[in-house]
Amino acid sequence: MTDNSLTARYLAAVLRHIPERQRADVERELRSSIGDAIDDRVAAGEGMTEAERSTLEGLGDPARLAASLTGKPMYLVGPELFPTYRQLLTLLLSVVVPIVGIVMGVLELVNQGTIGDAIVTGGGAALNVAVHLSFWITLVFAVAERVDSTRKATEQATGGPWKLEDLPKVPSNRITIGEMAGEVFTLLFTIGGLIVLQNLTWTDAATGQVLPLLEPALVNFWLPALVVVLAALVVFHLVVYTVGRWTMPLAVAHTILELAFALPVAYLALNGMLVNPAFAAAIGYPPLAEGDGPVMLILAAGVVIVTAWEIFDGFRRARRSAVATVAGTA
Amino acid sequence: MNESELLDAHRQELRRGTVVLACLLALRTPGYGYGLLKTLESAGIPSDANTIYPLLRRLEERGLLESEWDTSESRPRKFYRTSERGAALAAQLLIEMNQLDAALRELNEGVPKGGSS
Repeated sequence: MTDNSLTARYLAAVLRHIPERQRADVERELRSSIGDAIDDRVAAGEGMTEAERSTLEGLGDPARLAASLTGKPMYLVGPELFPTYRQLLTLLLSVVVPIVGIVMGVLELVNQGTIGDAIVTGGGAALNVAVHLSFWITLVFAVAERVDSTRKATEQATGGPWKLEDLPKVPSNRITIGEMAGEVFTLLFTIGGLIVLQNLTWTDAATGQVLPLLEPALVNFWLPALVVVLAALVVFHLVVYTVGRWTMPLAVAHTILELAFALPVAYLALNGMLVNPAFAAAIGYPPLAEGDGPVMLILAAGVVIVTAWEIFDGFRRARRSAVATVAGTA
Repeated sequence: MNESELLDAHRQELRRGTVVLACLLALRTPGYGYGLLKTLESAGIPSDANTIYPLLRRLEERGLLESEWDTSESRPRKFYRTSERGAALAAQLLIEMNQLDAALRELNEGVPKGGSS
């Protein structure tokens, strides 16, 4: 007959987590300890059932007791490895995932996909990589946590124990006038470039026709709109300078403005709406005005990558200046 | 966290380090798990079964305790005894403990140790 008392069930629950070679010893000792405790309670006047219940309750969760009996950790990655684990995971996720997403998205565009296809493909690839990275890094660290020699190797491979020299410089959060001027001049230069491009013409030597370089239809709406967005960005950078540092709300506003510039440009490029087709035909390179031509794909991808970086940079600065404010430097 | 929970939490923390010393001292006379629990309790150092049993195994692994099964009675028991190494460590820890006690006493009485200020 199987002993199905609470004690027997408790012992079985503990022993399940104990390695084979220790099992007999742990069982024998724990059984006699539980027996002693029950006898003691019964001698003090408790009922048998009650005594058994309160003794086992006192020992607590069997899995937890087994873990402390064997000295095995109840966590995946312990406090010694956790900082390295988090550092490595954050670094890889923030670098590898966006790169894979952007590259896969751009490849989709190059392969005649629409913007929607590119977003789906790029986003899917990014998610896939993020899940894989997280899983495998966690697995490696969980193994390292449990094997002492591996733990030492992991610590060494990721820079060894912490040193004073590892301390990063205290970030300065005050935006300099130079930084602000750099941003503003770049924007003004772009605005000027757009206006010049709009007025550039090319005279066909054969026919004597004067052809505008840019698609004439742009002048009615898109070019003025883009100039307005760039002007708004100029104002934005002046505001950031006045505030003195990047903040999260500013980084969000910056994102909206950057997208308001980049998305129309990418859209126009991918629909072949930027260059005057007559001009492209006249210089003998029609792909210049085609939405699926290599020139426009590269242009669209370039705009998307630069904008993604600008947006990321805004949030990075906002975070840094938050840290610097906490550190107490102005 | 109310006052009694706060006291409990801190008292537990304060005692955690002393349980090892208490075990090493008590087991200079051989004893088994539950018996040790009772000995400590009556000595004024109450502890939980699920703290003591794993601790005994750990101390044995480190060579601070030695163990032997006594099967002469109806209930077999694993008896632990403080090893020579364990006794030496206990003596050291006891000195530390006394120094801590003296230091806390001085702090409490507000007498600066160096007397320079």
